[in-house]
Amino acid sequence: MNERVGTTVLSLTGISKVYGEGPTRVDALRPTAFEARAGEVVAIVGPSGSGKSTLLTIIGLINPPTAGSLLINGEPVITDGVAVANLTTMRRRELGYVFQRSNLIPFLNAEENVRLALEIDGVPAHQSRTRARELLESLGLGKRLAALPGKLSGGEQQRVAIARAMIHQPSVVLADEPTAALDSGRGRQVMELFRDSAHAHGAAVLVVTHDHRTLDLVDRVLEMEDGVLSEKQPA
Amino acid sequence: MMDLAVRDIRNDLSRFLLTAAGLGMLMSVVLAMTGIYNGMVVDATVLPDTYGGDLWVVQKGTQGPFAESSRVPALLADRIRAVPGVERTRSYMTLNVQHELGDGETLRFMLAGLSWPDDLGNSLPLAQGRALRQPHYELVADRALGLPVGTSLRLGRDDYTIVGITSGMVSSSGDPLVFASVSDALRIQNDLASEALRLERESRVSRVRRSEYGRDPANLARAGSAAPLPVTSPPPVTAILVDVAAGGDVEAVKASLLGWPDISVYTIDEQRELLVRGVIDRARRQIGLFRALLVLISAIVMGLIVYTMTLDKMLSLSLLKLLGAKQRVILRLILEESLLLGISAYLVALLIGELAFDLFPRRVLVQDLDRLALLGVILGLSVAAGMVGLRKALAANPNEVLAS
Ligand SMILES: Nc1ncnc2c1ncn2[C@@H]1O[C@H](COP(=O)(O)OP(=O)(O)OP(=O)(O)O)[C@@H](O)[C@H]1O
Ligand SMILES: [Mg+2]
Repeated sequence: MNERVGTTVLSLTGISKVYGEGPTRVDALRPTAFEARAGEVVAIVGPSGSGKSTLLTIIGLINPPTAGSLLINGEPVITDGVAVANLTTMRRRELGYVFQRSNLIPFLNAEENVRLALEIDGVPAHQSRTRARELLESLGLGKRLAALPGKLSGGEQQRVAIARAMIHQPSVVLADEPTAALDSGRGRQVMELFRDSAHAHGAAVLVVTHDHRTLDLVDRVLEMEDGVLSEKQPA
Repeated sequence: MMDLAVRDIRNDLSRFLLTAAGLGMLMSVVLAMTGIYNGMVVDATVLPDTYGGDLWVVQKGTQGPFAESSRVPALLADRIRAVPGVERTRSYMTLNVQHELGDGETLRFMLAGLSWPDDLGNSLPLAQGRALRQPHYELVADRALGLPVGTSLRLGRDDYTIVGITSGMVSSSGDPLVFASVSDALRIQNDLASEALRLERESRVSRVRRSEYGRDPANLARAGSAAPLPVTSPPPVTAILVDVAAGGDVEAVKASLLGWPDISVYTIDEQRELLVRGVIDRARRQIGLFRALLVLISAIVMGLIVYTMTLDKMLSLSLLKLLGAKQRVILRLILEESLLLGISAYLVALLIGELAFDLFPRRVLVQDLDRLALLGVILGLSVAAGMVGLRKALAANPNEVLAS
């Protein structure tokens, strides 16, 4: 278990998002407050168009919020809707991403895709190679290191994507429907992987999912409805 | 940082190689144009370069043998030799010859006279055989004529034997040069002229015979005997070449010759200049413009290729940005790929040049400086094309990854 587990790594206050204006105005995200701690897996569920992806892209620093403040690992990143840190650096160091598909660079093999997350932050090749191999081996991909993404199955691709999202020990890992393209067995394995990795690497994992059968594997479930986020009490 | 460009190229190597080969062929045409341009200049000045001579004396008011026809009396050479500072004089003459071979093929060449015994052709670039040894009936021919040493040719009324083969000796219009002594050349000129006269007379007689006028035998005889060749002093040559004694003052000799009537005097550099700036000027500028056009086309093609290569990578570029890659990483990926493409194309162009340029019918002369200049142009184009791709690449939106 990572020593960071339990500390607050993500905190949102008053974060909101409005798309368009006048008659085309969409309040995709109402002012939202929310915290996540290292080591926990938080599921976000809700109907289509309710604002789940919007929330994730705002936390992922690729979609600026209309208002509100955001702290990552205690450091102010967005204050009152204005970026106060270098977002590119924050993305590189503090965030990891997993999507439904197209996660991997097609001309890099599995090992290189994972190394990339380290090397763009200046980790030398010999170190990144060892760490990428160890991680991929621990995920059961030791034999697929040299395979290009096109030659990997959907489940293998997602495991490589998770390895890439975790290897640089980010504070927050964001996953938008990572299991949607997988059958339920593979989907469950991926969720288990998130749970184990969150503990091992000391990251808060936010997973948007439609698959209610895997919710038993997560620590908390949040429900999104018309841009309003609410904590769903465990049944 | 791992080398992304190399990995992207390796992923679709055949496509990269094909593109480089295509671009290389385009570049090889640029190189060929440069070589043809240089070859043209060298070919144009082959004659003055071979003959040398400090001063070229030609008919008054003409610009010399390369620009227009000039006739000066051969005996003028003896008078010029008496001028102080002159070491030797040579007669210079050329003659375009079209020679029918037995099998209906035609040999076209330029016959150039060597001043026996001062000039036996020893300074010619001989590839086989020897220079002239006798004042008559021997020829030194260029390889481009396609006849081996020992071949006998009937020119005019006599047989001439090829005793030596040169390489790279062509006239400014690209015809092979054949050297003979000036007296042989003059005789051949005379023989060919009277042969032409005889043919002309025959055709005139047959025309008259077919007409009403030809019914009278007296008229027929008159038609046949018209215009005989006037017999004069030794036939004129084209120019007299003057060699000034070592350490002598070329300008002084030129100044004293300028006072003579009936002649104009040029230095050899003036003759060369006249050839390059005058005789082949249009052809030279034509090729120069064509080459500039090719570079422009290459620039557009290169820009398009790099732009498409970037478009094909947009998802990867968006992903890189999403992962927080610095701009430098994206810059390097695009520029390096563009440069690798340019350099591969350059190597293909060089290879094609090595293999193909010798097969061209006229001289293609590519110098190291030309190769270097092409490399410079290609590197410049690669960077420019990379910039086009980069504009697109830097506009990559990390959100694209999610939308796909
Ligand atoms: N770029 C945009 N411009 C305008 N409106 C947008 C934009 N992106 C999202 N929206 C709108 O914001 C609302 C929330 O969209 P969002 O993608 O966050 O929903 P979601 O919960 O992820 O849905 P799904 O489950 O279908 O992925 C929707 O009404 C959507 O139409
Ligand atoms: Mg969504």
